[in-house]
Amino acid sequence: MSAKRVIGTAAVRVDGMAKVTGAAQYVDDMEFGPGLLHAVLVESPHAHALIRKIDTAAAEKAPGVVRVVTGKDIPYMFGLYMQDRNIFARDRVRFVGEQVAAVVAETPGAALRAAKLVKVTYAPLPAVLSLDEALKENAVLIHPDLGNYLRVPWFFPRPGTNIAHWRKTRKGDVEKGFRQADYILEDTYTVPRYAHCPIETHAVTGLFDLSGRLTLWASSQSPYAQRGVMAVALKPFGLSHRDIRIVTPYVGGGFGGKAGVSMEIIGAVLAIVMKGRPVKLNWTREQEFMNTSQRQGVIARIKMGVKKNGQIVALEHTLHWDAGASAEYGANVVNAVGLSATGPYRIPNVKIDSVCVYTNMPPCGAYRGFGYSEFHFGLESHMTRIAQAIGMDPVQFRKRNAIREGDTLAYGAHMNPGNLRGAIDRVAKEIRWGKKDKSAKPGKAVGKAVACFWKAPAMPPNAASAAYLKFNEDGSLNLCVSGMEIGQGFLTVMAQVAAEVLTVPVEKIRVETPDTDRNSYEWQTVGSHVTWGCGNAVRAAAEEVKARLLATVARAKFLKVEDLYLADECVKSRKDRKFALPFRSFVIDGIMRSNGNFIGGPIHGTGMFMPEFTSALGDPETSQGGHPNVHYTVGAAGIVLEVDKETGKMTVRKAVLAVDVGQAINPELVKGQIVGGLVQGLATALFEDIRYDANGRLLNPNFTDYKIPTTLDCPAEIIPIILETPQPDGPFGARGVGEHTMVACAPMVADAIDNAIGIRLKTMPLTAEKVALALRGIDYDSVKGDTLGFCFRGKPCDYRFEVGGH
Amino acid sequence: MSISCEFDYAKPDTLRDALGLLARHAPHGAVPLAGGTDLVAWLRDGAVSPGFLVDIKELAELRGIRRKAGHLWLGANTTFAEIMASPLVRRHAPILAEAAGMVASVGVRNRATIGGNICSAVPCCDSGPALLVYDAVIHVATLGGARRIPIRKWFLNPRQTALTQGALVTGISLPVAKHAGAFAKLKRYRGEDLAQASVAVRVDARGDWRVAYGSVAPTPIRGPKVERLLRGDLKPSSARRKEAAAVAETEVAPITDIRGSQIYRRLMVGVMLRRAVHLAAARRAGRGPAYGTNILEEDAP
Repeated sequence: MSAKRVIGTAAVRVDGMAKVTGAAQYVDDMEFGPGLLHAVLVESPHAHALIRKIDTAAAEKAPGVVRVVTGKDIPYMFGLYMQDRNIFARDRVRFVGEQVAAVVAETPGAALRAAKLVKVTYAPLPAVLSLDEALKENAVLIHPDLGNYLRVPWFFPRPGTNIAHWRKTRKGDVEKGFRQADYILEDTYTVPRYAHCPIETHAVTGLFDLSGRLTLWASSQSPYAQRGVMAVALKPFGLSHRDIRIVTPYVGGGFGGKAGVSMEIIGAVLAIVMKGRPVKLNWTREQEFMNTSQRQGVIARIKMGVKKNGQIVALEHTLHWDAGASAEYGANVVNAVGLSATGPYRIPNVKIDSVCVYTNMPPCGAYRGFGYSEFHFGLESHMTRIAQAIGMDPVQFRKRNAIREGDTLAYGAHMNPGNLRGAIDRVAKEIRWGKKDKSAKPGKAVGKAVACFWKAPAMPPNAASAAYLKFNEDGSLNLCVSGMEIGQGFLTVMAQVAAEVLTVPVEKIRVETPDTDRNSYEWQTVGSHVTWGCGNAVRAAAEEVKARLLATVARAKFLKVEDLYLADECVKSRKDRKFALPFRSFVIDGIMRSNGNFIGGPIHGTGMFMPEFTSALGDPETSQGGHPNVHYTVGAAGIVLEVDKETGKMTVRKAVLAVDVGQAINPELVKGQIVGGLVQGLATALFEDIRYDANGRLLNPNFTDYKIPTTLDCPAEIIPIILETPQPDGPFGARGVGEHTMVACAPMVADAIDNAIGIRLKTMPLTAEKVALALRGIDYDSVKGDTLGFCFRGKPCDYRFEVGGH
Repeated sequence: MSISCEFDYAKPDTLRDALGLLARHAPHGAVPLAGGTDLVAWLRDGAVSPGFLVDIKELAELRGIRRKAGHLWLGANTTFAEIMASPLVRRHAPILAEAAGMVASVGVRNRATIGGNICSAVPCCDSGPALLVYDAVIHVATLGGARRIPIRKWFLNPRQTALTQGALVTGISLPVAKHAGAFAKLKRYRGEDLAQASVAVRVDARGDWRVAYGSVAPTPIRGPKVERLLRGDLKPSSARRKEAAAVAETEVAPITDIRGSQIYRRLMVGVMLRRAVHLAAARRAGRGPAYGTNILEEDAP
C-alpha cells in the first residue's frame, strides 16, 4: 500500500519544456488580428499639480488615431484595499508619470506620435517629497477626500492628513520593560524604494465584444482579484463579475508587482470605449519603474532593551513609510509590518507604530517580502549590535530569543511550529561561524554574519482557494486552478499534490494558467501562500475524486469501499491482490456490468479552502484580539563576504539559507526559491540604488543606472538548507516559502561588512561606494548630491518621527 | 519598441555615395548609422530626431584590421568583439583590446563599433582613454578629401567631436611600438556598466609613461602630471606609485551624479592609477596577469 510518494520529490517542471523551447505564450505573444488597436499614454511631468485643461484636438486629428481618452471620460477610482487611485487623473496629478490621457491608434507609432500632441495645462502645486513635510501640521494634502474612500475595515486612515493607515501594536508594558533592561540601544535605519524589475513588463490586451462581454489578457499574479477590483470600479459601465473575464497566460516575473491591479484597468476602460475592437497596452521599461508600484521606502527607529543574560525585554519599533501617491495596496504592507515587526523573537513588551504616509512619488505596493525585508534590515542589524554591546555572541543571542511554537505573538495569537533554532545552528555551522577567516589576498578582509527572518502571508481573513479536477478518457487529468505560475513552480507543485492522492504520474496531470471563466477561484498568488492555500484546495479536490473512484468501483463490482485503495493509476483491493481496475478503463465511460449496463460516469471533483481561523478584527489601538496571520515561516541565513579595503568592492564567497518549510513538496523548487531570493535580496543590498531628483522625477528608470545582478554578480557558492517541521494545516505539512528567502539578505551584508572592517552602515543600499567612503571616514549622505532614494532628506539620526497634531 | 520620429533610410554601397547622401540630406538632419547601439537607443528615447539615416554598416572602406607602415589600422566599423579577438590588436594594442573587453555586454560588443564609440564621444567612452595613450590618429573622409585628426584634438565636449557635419570616420591608426600597459574600469557591479571612472596607462621600453582617464572630465583626458612624475621609471616603487596616485587625484575633475560621487570617483582614480601602473610595469617585465583582467574586480596586484 505504500505507493511511490510524489510529495518530496523533484518532479520535473510541468512548464519547463514550453519555456525552454519558446513555446510558452506571454500576453505580448498573443495574436488579435488586424483589428488590434494600440494605446499610448500621456503622463504627468509634475509631482503635484492641478489639471487646468486638456486639449486633445490636435491628437485626435493625427493620422491613425481613433480616440483620445481622458479622466473626463472615465472619472472613476479603483484600488484593492482602498479606492484611492484614479484610472485617469482628473482634477490633479499626484506623481511624475501618472496617466492623464490615452491615445488609441491603429499602430503603436501613430499612438506615440499623437500622444505628443495632447496639450495639458497644469497649475503646479507644492509637492510633498519628504516624510516630515507630509506629516507636519497643516501639510499639503495629497488626498483631500481620504475620508470618503472605500476601504477594508482593518485600515485606519486619518482624513485631513497624509496618513493612509496607522497600525499600532501594543503588548505588555514597554516602559516597564525598558526599566528592567540592563542595556538599551536606540537607533535609526533607512531603506529606500526598490523596483521589481520583472523581465516581462506589464501588458494587457482588452476586448469588449459586441455582446457586452469584457475579456482581458493580462500579465498578472491575480486574475480573480483583478476581476473583483474591476467589477467594483467598472460598475458605472453596467459591468458585473459575470461580464468580466481575465485570462492570464505565462507571466515573466511578478515579485508582487503584478499583484492587484495597476495599468490593467486602463486597458479595460480603453477596450470598453473601443467596443468591438481589441486594444493593446504594453508598458515600457520606464513605465514599469514609474507607474506600477514600487517597494516603499521606510525610516525606522528601533529602541530595544535587553538584560545582561541576553533576554530581550522590550522593543519599540516606529516606522514611517513613503507610500507614494496611492496606498491602495501599500497600506497593507505597512499593516503587515505593524503586526510583525518584532521579528522572530519572543519579546514580552512591544510597541509598534507603522505609519503609511502619502507622498508625491509613484505609488508603492506589494514587493516580494511585503515589508519584512525592510524592517529586518534595521531589526537584525540592531540584534547584532546589541549582542556586541552586552558582550554576547550574536548567534547565541538570536538563539536565546528565538521564537518557539506556542509563544504569544505581539498581537496575542500563538506561534505555529517552526524550527528557528535549528536553522540558526545549520547556517552557523555551514559558514563556520566563530572562526575568523583571513583573505588570501592583500588588501581584503573577510566578514561573516548570520541573520534570522520570519514572514507570514498578509491576507484578508477570507482569502480563499478552490480547485477543479477532472478525468479524461486516457486516465489523464485536467487540474483547473487560478494560482499563477510566476516562475516559482506552482503548476508543478499542484500537480504533485493531486498526483500524490490519486497515484497518477505528475506528467499525466495538465495544469495550465488561469482563465476566470474556466478555472476555479483563487484570491491572489501573493504572500507565499498558494502552495499552502491552493494546495489544500487541490488536495480536497483530489480526495473527492478519489472517493468517487472508490465508490464507483465498489458499486459496479459489488465491493466494499473500505477494501479498496488507489495504486499505480488503478483501483485495487486489499482482499484480492489480482484485482486492479485501471482508471482509464472507467473514469469517463463507466464500468460495464454483465448484463451490459454501465455504472459510473465522468469523474471529477472540487475542493476549496479558506483559513477559517483568521480574523482581522483586532483592537485598532493595540491589535489585540484578532488572528490576522495564518502562519509564519522562519529561518536563518548566513554569508561569507570579502571586502576590498580600498575600493569597497564586495564579493559574496558563500551564501547559506535554511528555512523551515514544513514539508518541501518539491525540494528542487524550494532550492530554486532559496537561490533566487538570495540573489534578489543581495542585489537590493549591494547594487540597486533608485534615485529621484528634487522634483520627484525618477532618474534611473532603466537598467543602465538601476543595476540588477548579472550571473557575474551572483555568489560564488549558495547552500540551500531545507528544514521540515510539519505545518498541521498545510497540504502534507507544507507551509509557505518564497518571499522569505530574500528577507535576511540586507542585514546580513551589513553585519558582514561590520564583521570584516568594523564599519556599521545603517542606510541601504550598501554599495561599494558607501563602504569605500566610510573606510576613509567620509559620510556618503554628505557627498551624494541632492538626489533621493525615497521621500527623505537629511540625516536619519535627526529625523524626529513626529506626526503633526498627534 | 516604437520610435516616434519619422526618418528616411538609405544603405549606400560606397563611401563616396555615403558622403553624397550625408551632404544632400544635411538639411533634413542626416546622420550615419553604424552599430546603432547608441543611435537606436537615442531615437527610441526621443533624444535625437534625424530626418535621414545613412546606414554605413557594410561599407568596405570602413572595415578591416591591418598593419601597414609602422601603424595598426582599424576600420571605423570594427566591432569591440572583433577588437578583442584580433591577434593584431592583441599584439600591437593590448590596452585597447583590454578596454574593448570591458565595453558593455557581449551583445553590445558584437554590434558596437569603435568608430561609433568615438563619435558618440560620451565622457565615459571606454575606447577614449586607450586611444589617448596610443596617440591614435582618426582618419576622416569628406567629399573634399581625407583628413587626419590626432586623438588629442578629437574630443571637444560631451558628445561633441572635431568631426564636421557630413564627414565620416573611416578608421583609426595607432603607431606600433613595443610597450605594455593596463586599462582599469570602475563599475557598479561586475555586469555591463558605463564607467564610473576609468584609467589607461602605457609604458614603453624607455620608461616613457602615458596616462589617460575616462568619466572624470567632460571628455576622456590625458594625465600629463602623472606622466611627468613617472617618466623614465621602468619599475615605479610603491612610494612612487602612491605619489602618482595622489597626483592623479588632482588632475581629474569628476562630477557627482547618480553613477557616483565626485569624491569617490576621484579617490578611485588614485587606486586604479596605482594598480594600473603596477600592473603595466609587471607586464612590461614579462610578469603580471594576462591582458583582459579588470584589476578592480580581480585580485589587487
